[in-house]
Order: sequence, then structure tokens, then C-alpha cells
Amino acid sequence: MRRLLLCLLVPAALAAQEPTDPSPHSDASLVAKVTSIRPGEPFSVGLRLVMEEGWHSYWRNAGDSGLPTTLAWDLPDGFEAAAIQWPYPSRIERPPLVSYGYEEEVLLLVEIRPPPDLTVGRTVTLAARADWLICEEPCYPATADVAVELPVRDAPPEPDRRWADAFARARARLPMAPDGWRISGRYGPSGYVLAVSPPVGLDVSFPENPFFAAAKSVIDHAAPQPIARSGEGFRIRLSVSQFAVGPAERLEGVLLARGLETETPYAALAIAPEVIPGEGEEEVVAPMVAATGYREPLTLFLALAFAFLGGLLLNLMPCVLPVLSIKVLGFVEQGGTDPAGARLHGAAYGLGVLVSFWMLAGALLLLRAAGQELGWGFQLQSPLFVAFMALLFFFLGLMFLGVVEMGGTLTRLGALGRGAGYRNSLLTGVLAVVVATPCTAPFMGAALGFALARPALHGLAVFTTLGLGMAFPYVALSASPALLRRLPRPGPWMESLKQFLAFPLFATVVWLLWVFGRQTGVDGASLLLLALTFLGLAAWILGRWSAPSRARPGRRAVARATATLILLLAGGLAWAGSQKLSDEPAVRLGSEWQPFSPARVEALRSEGRPVFVDFTAAWCLTCQVNERVTLADAAVKEAFRARDIALLKADWTTRDPEITAALRSFGRSGVPLYVLYSPQPGLPPRILPEILSVGIVLDALADL
Amino acid sequence: MRVLSSLVAAIVLVSLAAAPQLGAQEAQAQIGEHAPAFTLPDTYGDEHSLPDYEGEWVVLEWLNYDCPFVRKHYDSGNMPSLQETYGSKGVIWFAVVSSAPGKQGYFAPDEMNRRSEQAGSVAKAVLLDPEGTVGRLYGARTTPQMVLIDPAGTVLYNGAIDDKPSARIETIEGAHNYLVAAIEEAMAGKPVSVPTSQPYGCSVKYK
Repeated sequence: MRRLLLCLLVPAALAAQEPTDPSPHSDASLVAKVTSIRPGEPFSVGLRLVMEEGWHSYWRNAGDSGLPTTLAWDLPDGFEAAAIQWPYPSRIERPPLVSYGYEEEVLLLVEIRPPPDLTVGRTVTLAARADWLICEEPCYPATADVAVELPVRDAPPEPDRRWADAFARARARLPMAPDGWRISGRYGPSGYVLAVSPPVGLDVSFPENPFFAAAKSVIDHAAPQPIARSGEGFRIRLSVSQFAVGPAERLEGVLLARGLETETPYAALAIAPEVIPGEGEEEVVAPMVAATGYREPLTLFLALAFAFLGGLLLNLMPCVLPVLSIKVLGFVEQGGTDPAGARLHGAAYGLGVLVSFWMLAGALLLLRAAGQELGWGFQLQSPLFVAFMALLFFFLGLMFLGVVEMGGTLTRLGALGRGAGYRNSLLTGVLAVVVATPCTAPFMGAALGFALARPALHGLAVFTTLGLGMAFPYVALSASPALLRRLPRPGPWMESLKQFLAFPLFATVVWLLWVFGRQTGVDGASLLLLALTFLGLAAWILGRWSAPSRARPGRRAVARATATLILLLAGGLAWAGSQKLSDEPAVRLGSEWQPFSPARVEALRSEGRPVFVDFTAAWCLTCQVNERVTLADAAVKEAFRARDIALLKADWTTRDPEITAALRSFGRSGVPLYVLYSPQPGLPPRILPEILSVGIVLDALADL
Repeated sequence: MRVLSSLVAAIVLVSLAAAPQLGAQEAQAQIGEHAPAFTLPDTYGDEHSLPDYEGEWVVLEWLNYDCPFVRKHYDSGNMPSLQETYGSKGVIWFAVVSSAPGKQGYFAPDEMNRRSEQAGSVAKAVLLDPEGTVGRLYGARTTPQMVLIDPAGTVLYNGAIDDKPSARIETIEGAHNYLVAAIEEAMAGKPVSVPTSQPYGCSVKYK
């Protein structure tokens, strides 16, 4: 009862908020294309909606929110009104949502058929009730009773000059039949693929996100629609709606294209291809690149060759070199007296490397299959991972310096015993890959990202070859008695070398701290420094009182317990530091750079400005070098200014699904990526190479 | 040797610890899958954590009191009566406000309580999600949008409240209420025949 009462009272209270105007922020009128009508002869009328700036009404599929406009007719006897003919809409982006609608002004066309037995000389009134939703951020339902009066004459109808332009514009925006086009729809695990081939001889291109689904619950309206060339045609990928119960039978909707002879910027095609299960054969398609694009898709063979080389090079990186050197010192100490044992150790190490790479690749592929927007370098996007890597490298460095001895000498790490010693070698292989992971992202992120954008088997092959390349020098050394014999004799120099190798490790710590600082700010970095200090303290305690050579057993236990507590504290501090997120953008934007978003690209391009997008991350060394050397070059900056190019920076230092999706639409899954959009709306964007030189950028700009 | 094993073990542990951090952020709600966990404060400052309600039926209702589509369901008494009907059957009914501060539908907690009283809401709590994190996690696009989670924590329904996308009160009579259908079917131990449908209404006013 109380509820009933409340229900009665509530509307009055809430109604106070509503605008009193029945059609707020917009006006509706019914207009006719002609000044008079003839019995039996169909004619066009239109519902004209004029909206205030910033407000919009909706298309027949409103998209993620909103409602289509409706007309309820009140016509004289014998008159028939057809369904609304909808001019193509525009995407109204309110991230993360996208709606389909109209801004400023729209004319919704309706064909009216008068009866043939209409009396000439009388005047008829066509009336309708229009209901629409008018939205900016807030939304209001709007309604209007509209009508138009027309005299019936027995003469050819004259066009009404007042509305001639409006009708012409609306008609030009109506979708037309795709004559001569071949259009098909497919459905597979990654969503829909719309394959379109224009009529022979017609040179067409597509705007970004060219497809508008006619019905809800078919595609994800807000998802990007990557376009790839495929033979004579194009393949447009569409994501499935979260609210779809199953695949649609047809991909019905409107496809915008450029290059057809129309007065409007786009030609709209009304399409409805049947959806066939399966993705189609052409799985590997080149991302949409201009014909003059620099980048040829990497063939699998080339990719594998580069991966092997890259793996070899990894051995020389400051992350890996020290760990590996210790391993080699193990051979030196042994002086090549046990070739069979050495070979087994080499194999165990190689296996450790390979298995770790497989696990890494497998984990990444699994996460991606689970729908994660991840690319290579994702490990460095987690501040927690960066923090623990810094701790690990610092601890390794301290071990190399001899601060911690822990049961003998560090060369134990490379010790070549029997039995359990092989496990040791295997673990060294694992450790080598783990310490290599921060180094692969800055140096090989783009190549690995590219490999990961291919089918899973290719990705695995690339990772395997990378592992083989990385394991190769050590395995080769261990398998060749001749090489082993060439190693220098053991001596005190080994201890000096080992201590010296601590410094590349500390250099890596500095670099990791810098990345961490970019992600979490000064406060976070300070916490991590404090964690490193405590780690140092724990290491000192362990080295001073826990080494078996010096310590009494009782003291050793106390020292270990204390050190463990301090280590936990260090871990806690590192964790706390990684939870702080910097307010400052990780990649500093210069005054001329703006942050990237797909909507901004679209907006700038619709103003007719060329756009340059720099996909970058603080931990990507190639990106940093390009930015500091090439993009900061005076001639390049001047060229950007002279051509009024809008500069956008997409910062991938921490995770950002929107940027990952944008990268993927270019067939990449890592940074760096440089994209140049021409001011002409028809041309596809051009992708610049990963290593930029001043000449390359200036040439690309000159071609605009 | 022992140093090396403990190092590798530590690394594995850390990666395991870091993995959910990477994973959790993006695991979107999906029909038939486990509902992603979240913790949000209500208008009285109490924290509600979804996993704490495992074993109960949970309804999430995306709310914006100034949205005409939401008002249709409150002015007509439809939403409060659903909240009461199912609240009395033990369903935990949360209204979630994902409007960002300064945007439509966002109110300070006290004002929100006043509006809830005015609207006759008897939801268990109005949860505040000004960052829009939970909204995005559940793919909330419009207000209203309804989510049903069963006692095992599985998402059974996510979508429109009913099949009449309109802001007019008259359309409530005769509408097929998808949420009611889903709850009734699920409580009777039957599979939910319509587990999703495109929600209608105002866009969620995200940050």
C-alpha cells in the first residue's frame, strides 16, 4: 500500500526536472518535396529535425544507446505512407560507447502514395506524431505533432524550392544498391569478416570504421573495424556484439566507400550478405598499407632468420651476458677434462632456454586467446614485474661482487658436477631467459610483436628459433672439445671478471628504475630504491653471518631469519611502490604533441589535417632513440609545422587496450609504430619503418 | 645450487603474482562465465564485495535517476516492485551508478539517498562507481541495464530490462521483462532462454 502511494507521488516530484518544452534542443517539421500533388502519383515528404549544436538524434539502429525516431501517421482515407528512408548516419563517439545518429540537421524521407480517386481541387492534410530522442550528455524524449497541407491539382507537381536542397542532400545520403560489387560475409572465432570487391576498374577506398549495422545485437558498435587489402578486394573485420545470442544470418547494414561518383563525401551501399561460417582462406593478409609503403610483410623464413640472429645477440646484452659468462667460467675451471659431461650440461642449458621461451610464448598466446589485449612488452607494462626485475638484477649484482657468498663461491652457479648439476644447468637456462625478458622488449619488441600477430604456430616457431639462437653459443662451445681446449687457463682473473660483470647488471637496474619511475612517479621510485636498500642490507647480513665458511650454526640461523624478514620487507616496499600510479604521462608530451585516441584521429582528419601518430613506450629503447634523434630533429619539426601536421602520441608504457587494439588494426602487437595519415580522406594511412631516419620522415612528408 | 633454485622459484612466484594483476583488469563479464569480482562503496560508505555474496542470487541494475528510460521504470513503480518482489525472495539487488562526477546521474551520497527515497527504490544498496571501472567490466552501455548472477557466481543474463525500447510509461504494460524471465527460469532450475539482448536507454555517462 505504501508502495502504491509512493508510486503516485513520485512522478510529480521527478517531473519537475523535465524540460517543459515537448521537443527540447530540437525542432521538427514535416515538409513536402512538391507544392501540389496529383491523384495516384507518389511523392516524397520528409521529417526535418533541426538540432542544437552538440545534440543528436538517432538512426534506425541507434547503436549503443538511444532510440530511433518514429512517425505515427494520421493520413486522409486511401493515403499510404511507406517506411522511413534513412540517410546514412555518423558515428557519435562517447568512449567507450558509440551510437549511430545525426547532428545539426536531418531529413528523414517517406514516400506517400495518394489514392487514384482523389478529388482535384481539395486540399489534404498529412499529419504525423513524431517521437525522437534528443541527446547530448543527457537525453530527453521529444515529441511533436507535425503536418503539411498540400493542394490536389491535375498538373505535374512543381518542386518546392524551399526544400529542394534539403531533399537533394538527404537523397544523396541514402544507401544505394551495390551494383557490380561482390560482397560476402563470414563468421569465425574472431568475429565477422566482410569481404568486399568493387566493380572492376573502380578505384575505391574506405573511411575508418565504414560499416553501420542495421540491427542491434549484431556487431560491437564501438569496436574498431580493421580493413585489410586482400587480392582485388578488401576484408573488413567486425567484432561480435556482447549482446548477440549467436551469429547473425546476414550482415545487413550500410557500408561507406569513397571513390564513387557522388556529391557527398561518401557513397553509402545498402548491403546484406549472408553470413557463411568459417573465416575464408586468405588468413594471412597484409595490413592496409599504401602501395608505396616501406614495409613488406615479413615472410616466415625471414622472420625466423632474424629471430635466430636476435637470439644470438641477446647473449651480448647487459641482462644476459653476466649470467652466461659465469656459466662459461665453469668450463674454464674444469679445463675441458670431461667432454661428455660438458655436452650434457650444454644440452640441459639449451633445453632450459627453449622450455622457458615456449612457456613465455604459450602464456602470451593463451592470454590473448582469452581475449586479453596484450602485445610483446606486456611484461614491462606491469610495474610489479619491473620492480621485481630490478630487485633480481640488484641481488645478482651483489652476488657477483661477492657480498653474498651463500655456500661457496658464485661459480657454483656455473658448477659442472654430475647428477644434480644438470638440473643446475637447466635452471641456468631458465634464469638466462628470465633475465633476458626485460631486454627483448626494448630491442626486439616490434619484431616479436609482429610474429605474435601471425597465426599461433608462426609465433611459436619464431620464439623457438629465438631460443635456439640464444642457446647456440653455449651449446656449441660445450659440444666442441676443440673449442673447450682453447679456453684460457683458470686463474685469479676469473674472480676479477666476475666482479666486473656486476656493473652491467647494476646498469640494467638503473634502466629498470627509470622505467618504473615513469610508471609510478618519484614516490613509487623512491619506495623501490628503499626496497633495493633493504635488499642490500639483507644480502650483507647473509654474506657476513650466514656463509658456512665463517659462521657458527646458531648465528647462521638467526642471520637467515633476520635476512628473510628484511627481504619480505623489501618485497612489500616494491609492491607498494608498484601500486602508485603516476599522474604524469609516462611519455612526456612536448607542447606540439597531443595524446592519441581513435576519435581524435577521426576528428582531426575530418578537419582535413594530416595526422602523424607515434606509438611509443618509455621502456622501448628504439622508440626513445627515434624520438630523441629523428623526431626532435629541427628539419623534421619544421616540416611538421610547415604542413600543419597534427602530432599524436600513443603511450603504451602501461597497459592500454585502446592502443593495443589500434596497434592490432595495423597488424602489429608492439611498439614502435609510426603512422602518417594523408589529409585526403580517401587515402589509406602510411606506415613508416621502425627505425626512423630524418630522410625517411622528410620523404614521407613530401609525398603527402 | 640452492641459491639458483630459490631464485628461479622466487621468479616463478613473482610472475604468478603479477599475472592476475595483468589478467584481472581486462576479464570482461561474459554470459555463462564467472562474474568478475569487484568491490564498491554504497551511499552509506559500506563496501560491498561481489565474492562475499557467493551463494546468493545477485542482480546488478545500472542506474541514472535523470535518464528518461530509468524514470519510466521508477515513475511507473515497475523497478521498485521488482526490487521488492525479488528482494523478499532473497535476491541481492544492487543499483550501480557509473556516472562520472559532474555528469548526468552522478550525485553525492546524501543526494543519491534522497533521490532513491523519492524514486521509491528498495534496492539493497546503491553502489557508486564514479570511475566507471565496474561499468566497463560488465560492458554496461545504457541505463537501465540488468545483470543476473546465480549463487555459483555465474553470469546468467546481461542486457535490456525488457523488449520495449521506449521512454514512454505506457510501454511497460505488455512488455516482456527479460530479467524476470531469466530469474524465474533460473530459480526453477531451467536454462535461461534469452541470456542477453541489446540494452536500451541513455548511454552510461562514463568519465
